[in-house]
Amino acid sequence: MRDKNQYKRILAIFICFLIIPLGVLLIWSFSKNWSWPNVFPSKFGLRGWEYFFDSSSNSINILFFSICLSLVVTFFTLIITIPAAKALSFYEFKGKKIIELLIYAPIIVPPVAVAMGIHFQFIKIGLANTFIGVVLVHIIPCIPYSVRILKSVFELMGRNIEEEALDLGANRLQCYIYITLPLILPGVLSAGSIVFIVSFSQYFLTFLIGGGRVVTFSMLMFPFIQSGDRMIASVYSIVFIVTTVVVLFIVEKMTYKFYRDVKRWYL
Amino acid sequence: MLVLSIFNLTACGKGKIDESDIFQKDFEELVEEARGTTVTFYGWGGSGQTNAWIDGYLTESIKKDYDIKVKRVGMNMDEILNKLLNEKQLDVEVGNIDVIWINGENFFTARENDLLFGPFTYKLDNFNKYIDENSLDIRYDFGYPVEGYEAPYGKAQLVMVYDSEKIKDPPENYRELLELAKSNPGKITYSAPPDFTGSAFIRNIIYDIIGYESFTNLELDEDVVRNIIKPAIDYLRELKPYLWREGVTYPSDVALLNNMYSDGEVWMTLDYHPNSPYGKILTGEYSDSTRTHIFENGAIGNTHFLAIPYNAPNKKGAMALIDYILSVESQASKYDPNIWGDLPVLDNEKLSEDEKKIFSSIKLGEATIPQDILFQNRLPEVSAEIIPLIEKIWIEEIPGE
Amino acid sequence: MKDKLKPYILLSPVLLIIALVFLSGIIMAIVQSFGYFRVAGLNEFTLRYYREVLGSDSFLSSLSFSLYTSLVSSIVAVIFGVLLANTIAKYKNGNNVIKYLYGIPIIVPHIVSVLLVYNILSNTGVLPRILYGIGIINSASEFPSLLYDENGIGIIITYLWKEIPFVAFTTYTVLARISDEFLEVASDLGATNKQAFFHVTLPLLMPSILSSFIIIFAFSFGAYEVPLLLGPTKPKALAVQAFIEYSNPVLENRPYAMVINVIITFISFILASIYYRLFQKIHKY
Repeated sequence: MRDKNQYKRILAIFICFLIIPLGVLLIWSFSKNWSWPNVFPSKFGLRGWEYFFDSSSNSINILFFSICLSLVVTFFTLIITIPAAKALSFYEFKGKKIIELLIYAPIIVPPVAVAMGIHFQFIKIGLANTFIGVVLVHIIPCIPYSVRILKSVFELMGRNIEEEALDLGANRLQCYIYITLPLILPGVLSAGSIVFIVSFSQYFLTFLIGGGRVVTFSMLMFPFIQSGDRMIASVYSIVFIVTTVVVLFIVEKMTYKFYRDVKRWYL
Repeated sequence: MLVLSIFNLTACGKGKIDESDIFQKDFEELVEEARGTTVTFYGWGGSGQTNAWIDGYLTESIKKDYDIKVKRVGMNMDEILNKLLNEKQLDVEVGNIDVIWINGENFFTARENDLLFGPFTYKLDNFNKYIDENSLDIRYDFGYPVEGYEAPYGKAQLVMVYDSEKIKDPPENYRELLELAKSNPGKITYSAPPDFTGSAFIRNIIYDIIGYESFTNLELDEDVVRNIIKPAIDYLRELKPYLWREGVTYPSDVALLNNMYSDGEVWMTLDYHPNSPYGKILTGEYSDSTRTHIFENGAIGNTHFLAIPYNAPNKKGAMALIDYILSVESQASKYDPNIWGDLPVLDNEKLSEDEKKIFSSIKLGEATIPQDILFQNRLPEVSAEIIPLIEKIWIEEIPGE
Repeated sequence: MKDKLKPYILLSPVLLIIALVFLSGIIMAIVQSFGYFRVAGLNEFTLRYYREVLGSDSFLSSLSFSLYTSLVSSIVAVIFGVLLANTIAKYKNGNNVIKYLYGIPIIVPHIVSVLLVYNILSNTGVLPRILYGIGIINSASEFPSLLYDENGIGIIITYLWKEIPFVAFTTYTVLARISDEFLEVASDLGATNKQAFFHVTLPLLMPSILSSFIIIFAFSFGAYEVPLLLGPTKPKALAVQAFIEYSNPVLENRPYAMVINVIITFISFILASIYYRLFQKIHKY
């Protein structure tokens, strides 16, 4: 009984720790005049939101562009990490430890170091200031997260299921659609979500490699946070959070729907 | 597909632009040829008012008049320079920046490394019509000869912005500033170099203490400079404990300092645009009692410029845009504190009576110091190469315990 | 035969990208750190940049600042994260709670969590306003300086806001799988809750604690955005200083930037392997 109360208290503190700052963010976004020492704004207004929606600030275009960029990053990261995770969980082979180290290394090596190191080369081969260049650098920090999640997914699934299906006469494609895919789909979605978030949140990588030509939403938001312009920064932050939630939600729903359609079609 | 696109982009970077015709053609022809093109404009994006003027008035009017599309990118000057330097080293012939907002130590670096296209200003109609080429602030940028490689954009002068309700007597010199800080501990500070405005404030203090004359023809030697500015460094150290956070740390950006001021956390801030504080009173960011002030020995002023990188993809469009910015309408709208408040660069003598009226009719507000007073008390900048030295010495000696 | 090659084939795309972008980036950084940067006319390998940087006071203070903020935030995050996970695990509905709550800090990028901390803990933030209203402090400057300060507390709190839930989540997934039987057996054998936690639960959690610790430590040690936004004028965090050197218009300065980058990477690796071994030892007992 005592435990339960203590638990509730701890949970309550944790929730406050998380939610209250976000609530303050919301209030700031709607404030017009909130000077010291008022605990609540003395005047409310929509100037921040107007600035955001005003076409001259170009914010909506950049938002959609950033979503596209991060979706592209997610797509390519998944394509290369799904087979990699499968290899790492199902097979034993020479050099496995080194390869694993390489794959997880981007977590230890700071992205700023890699970006500064590769920047010059990118300029030389024309990848700097391009969409593809930025996508490539985004993929790097995303790889370890994706592999980590997918690896445990494959381990959970186990090698045997696929082999049994093949033994029972299914061909590769059937095996993939009916056995593998449904089993790894939740894991793929989860890995994809993390990758999307990591990419969407990037600032320095896009800033350096994009050279001002490839502008993402984080880059748009950054100067306002840096200069302490709380109202506009809060507006952009809320848009960021809401956008991420919405995008991930839509992708999840669409994936399941698509999967059901494909199954039906194949049948 | 990935490989093909990489090759495509590589090819893009290495093509050569034919610009031999730019110097031969008439300016009107160049403008005609620039119709329907996009001009990419890079510059510091930390000022909401500047951005609003470029994204608003400039972009809309030039689209109407010349059918040119302006794409603004906010980026700090040293980052732009770094980018161009890297590109120059790698022989990138076609870049992606057409016009850059530049001045001071950056112009010097850009010219030393051959990063700019020019000379081009002599071709611009409005430059010839309205600019006093012989004026020292047009011919020299931080002591370095311009020689047509950049066109004036606007003028700036460093002012102190303060709340007249909290500070009844703004300081006339460095001694009074120290007294003010002592009686209002923690309420005053300045932004840390390499922030442009903070750096200018430090130079202003140096001028006030040792006089501007000591800086002409100064040797570019760290020990020499260190010796000369020692009194100023000692003063700033003396000032330290009475500043915000006891001078141990400083806001990294003047925009942050401005926000601290409008929050009431400090009672003074800085601005390089004498008209901007009035604009902020109008939007409600600054209190109605905000006023501006300069030292009796004068305030640093300079001209800020526009230049064209050596590898700009649209040089004709760039020239058309720059010329457009030099028109009376553009300079006047820029001067309006409701929008930006940047001082015009046009020579008063060259303006017609009607054109003069456009400028004098712009309401400056009580917070703004009248133009003639600003002009009389204008101090020129030091030679560009010395500035990084001063900044280096400051960072070593002042912040921290 | 085909089977033998299969894993390599599956791994080739990922390894290709890693080699082309990641490895070459690091190699470039290392090469340039030794002073070899042809474009700037530097043609010899030399250790002098390393000597200069390692001997400079400003580097050493940057190093200790970065170490301090990342160690403190990572250790605190692990302790509280595990405790939090443990508490939630005891609750039947734990699964849902953790999923939704964890989701929030994961979605919020670090620069926004900087804003959150700034809104609440700056000298004119919400917390000092409340304290002022109650009468605990009499002016904004009486509120302790948590941001832009050598004490790095603002930076640490920013990291904690995201890292405690992160550690809690990764720990919880393991915790949820630990059979209740283990704990029952322990309690049958006379162990108290506390003993059961330290001798049964904790050792089982070690691997996931270790990996989360390494992840959050390496991230905060080499971080750029958070210390740039919330750090003091001096000392600057390592990654911030590295970029300042990188942006120097004098290209001959480039090796200094790369030296700092290489040192950050090197230290991250060393520390990661030290923690690994340390945790192995603890695990064994």
